Amino acid sequence: MTADPRAFLAVDVGGATSSVAIIGRIAHRWRLVGSLAMPASTPVDAIAVELIRRVAASDPGLAVAIGLTDGGRPVDAETMAAELPRLLGRSAPRRALLALAVSARALGPIADAARKTGWRTSTAQLDGTDPLKLTNRILDPSVDVLLVGAGDPPGADERRRLSELAGIVAGAVARRPDLTVLLAGAMADHLGRLEASSGVRPANRPGELLLAPAATTGDPPGAPLRELLDEVRGGADDPRRAAGRITSALADVLDRRVEVIEIGFDGGLRATASPGIGGEESQAIVSIAADAALLPPDPDDATVDRVLAWMTTPIDRHRLRDRLRELRLWPWSGIAGDGARLRLAAARAAMAILVDATPEQSALPTPDVVVVSGGAFAVAPGPAIALAVADVLRRPGATSIAYDHARVLGALGVIPDASERRQALIDLVDDVLTPLGTVVIPAGIRAGTSAGRLTVHAETGSSETELVPGALEVVDLPPGDVATAEFSFRDTVRLGSRGRRFAVDVSGGLGGLLVDLRDVPLRLPDRLDRRRELLDAWQESLWLTRDR
Amino acid sequence: MSAPVDVAPPGIELVGRRPILGDAPEILFRLAPGDRSLVSAGEAIVAGTTIAERLRDAAVVGLGAAATPDDARAGDRWTTSDRSAARVIGRSGARLRGGGDAEGGELLYEHDGRWAIAAGEHPEPVDCPVTGVVRDVRPGVGIRVRAQGRALYGVEALGDPASGRLSLGTDRGDQRHGRLRPTSLDVGLAGTILVIGSRVDAEALTRARAMGVRGVIVSGLAGKERRDYLASESRQRAALHRLPPFGVLVLDGAVRRPIAGPIAAVLETLSGLTVAITIDPPAIVFDHPELAIQPAAEGHVRVRAGEHAGAEGRWAGPAGVRRFAGGTDLEAGWVVLDGEAPIPIPIADLERFG
Repeated sequence: MTADPRAFLAVDVGGATSSVAIIGRIAHRWRLVGSLAMPASTPVDAIAVELIRRVAASDPGLAVAIGLTDGGRPVDAETMAAELPRLLGRSAPRRALLALAVSARALGPIADAARKTGWRTSTAQLDGTDPLKLTNRILDPSVDVLLVGAGDPPGADERRRLSELAGIVAGAVARRPDLTVLLAGAMADHLGRLEASSGVRPANRPGELLLAPAATTGDPPGAPLRELLDEVRGGADDPRRAAGRITSALADVLDRRVEVIEIGFDGGLRATASPGIGGEESQAIVSIAADAALLPPDPDDATVDRVLAWMTTPIDRHRLRDRLRELRLWPWSGIAGDGARLRLAAARAAMAILVDATPEQSALPTPDVVVVSGGAFAVAPGPAIALAVADVLRRPGATSIAYDHARVLGALGVIPDASERRQALIDLVDDVLTPLGTVVIPAGIRAGTSAGRLTVHAETGSSETELVPGALEVVDLPPGDVATAEFSFRDTVRLGSRGRRFAVDVSGGLGGLLVDLRDVPLRLPDRLDRRRELLDAWQESLWLTRDR
Repeated sequence: MSAPVDVAPPGIELVGRRPILGDAPEILFRLAPGDRSLVSAGEAIVAGTTIAERLRDAAVVGLGAAATPDDARAGDRWTTSDRSAARVIGRSGARLRGGGDAEGGELLYEHDGRWAIAAGEHPEPVDCPVTGVVRDVRPGVGIRVRAQGRALYGVEALGDPASGRLSLGTDRGDQRHGRLRPTSLDVGLAGTILVIGSRVDAEALTRARAMGVRGVIVSGLAGKERRDYLASESRQRAALHRLPPFGVLVLDGAVRRPIAGPIAAVLETLSGLTVAITIDPPAIVFDHPELAIQPAAEGHVRVRAGEHAGAEGRWAGPAGVRRFAGGTDLEAGWVVLDGEAPIPIPIADLERFG
């Protein structure tokens, strides 16, 4: 190795998946040389060794060019894996927060702030709850952090009982010195009482007692509380915490509105950013929802229903529940056969939760590029991922869909220096984003035999397609190709703007150009068998690698 | 089980390792406010020691302003013979309970200069099924006991911590694949912890508990059976006369598969000896230092899921990316099953033991 390394490892350690990528300096640019993702039970070092072996075996010249040599001798993969610099992104462990307030009205905003910052959130309110049950909830060892909130100033409905709530919390805190407590809004007035009850000096207390802003303060309301909650959740090298930085950088580098959707083992993420204007830095909106994990720790009836709604294979509820429990226990097992479809059905259900939890991001203009990431998609074919996104993110417009196949974006996000991060992204963006295709979703299509015509002008020629209402039209457009899609609709539709004729620049991908003429939002039959048939028919054309 | 291999086969590190045995864990016995700990931190206890009293029907009772000393703290025990000091503010009819002349409860919280306590009737003993040292006692939270010995971990445990003689049964043939039927249970199994094999239903679990069996170890417990059993367990907890503690340890998950060979070998070694099932963490704990347990051969792997689920064989090296049924491309490894030619199996479906 030289002092100026020509290669490094980008490592992403998630809740269920560990991924290692080799980034090499080739022709004055950082390039993605290779990547390997395995279950989290496989040691990262073992993955790195196997990856280096493969690079050295498949292209010895390249291995030499990026310095994977040992003084000219054949590469010793184990030594090299230990010596290569590492850029590490490590997902923060799942943590639980109990949001507590006097009334349901006061509870809503603080619970909402917690749910959007990656906490597994449960709620309790003093009104109508036995103090003993409330104390039991606080003392539950699975609760890591307690967020006690009140308005600032407190509302008439909560003022009378704030002192009692403070007493209950103080009683519980005295028994659990390990508990971190955040006092939001007017609850901050009771800090002294909690400090006195804990009976130990704050410096000697394992948990912290913190003051937090009220959930209704800031611009937008709740932003300062969310910021604090994000900080308390911790994980200095957590890719989800760095998602805002990398999404902003991506928006700037691509000069497009970008949305990153990540579905992981312990949570889901939605980050939205537009390019900075007039030299200003791009700002991202980030929501992290623990409920949007691939599966909750103990899949309940609601989870079974949500996943069953996206299944394309017949399966009864009991068996599906068992499969989901197994998927949670061993997330990488049983993928062969219909396992990959089950995972993608669970991923769709998780994405739907994420979208429901982030209405303010859904209200933003349709992004130009959606980047999909996370272990939930690790084994699905690219075109099937594109369709999964189109099934759930139903906003009229044309959107390119790309997949962070090597899970490098998360690691790049933890680079602290903004210019270094941007430079690395400029070099790597074409390598790390696999184009899955472009999805065009017009809204307002009326039922009938024909919705109009589509003409695609590509470098290889032009093609015409009849547009059928309610159908999915797939036009072959390989990755790297660009084309102009001319739409001539029978009726007025919404596609960015209202009109009948549109010309849209589209880029190719593994799934080509997908013209989605289904309803916005998607309407599916209530009967499970008919629903399954319809979903299967749509997926049939895009599950290109399906083995028959 | 395949023959031992001295040298680690190439690429075996890519297969996730599942530890079979570990040091005995720190076991948590959950307490609720009002429950009374009978031990203190640092105390050495033997298996069977009653470490706490759990209140079945705790309720909040409000105390008079002068009923507590100035230095009262939440979690402290409170006793008095002065009934007039208390007034019920929780469920009506809740009564203070105590021994001798005193009645009492646990201080819960202070509000407006008055304390509320958690108190109630029908205390039930909590026995610790393992020998160890009490590490921590937190009123209303739990008691942590550092167990002595070794532990074999599962993925989930239901019920209560329990101990008993490990029984593999005599009429079920291969205990790795066995299934427990309600009709095969009798009172002769009372006091034992039964190793079932691959499958058990809720009815058999309920009957086993009624027969005095102290626990069941099973490879997989289906979600429906789990739910039915938990409902039965909940009804049992509500009953006036409780049965002795009964625990269910699930080794693998929710679908049917035989117990892994290396784990079955440990259980065979423990057959006839006293072991304990712990719930948090889910494990079998045993304190028999004289037992020598052979580690699984290096290179021995088990197929956890897929076409060959439950099969065990020998790792023969990485196979690279392969296409499997359903059209998915997965990292695979060569595995020798039953001495046949190696076949590619997704690495993620494999596990090794150590």
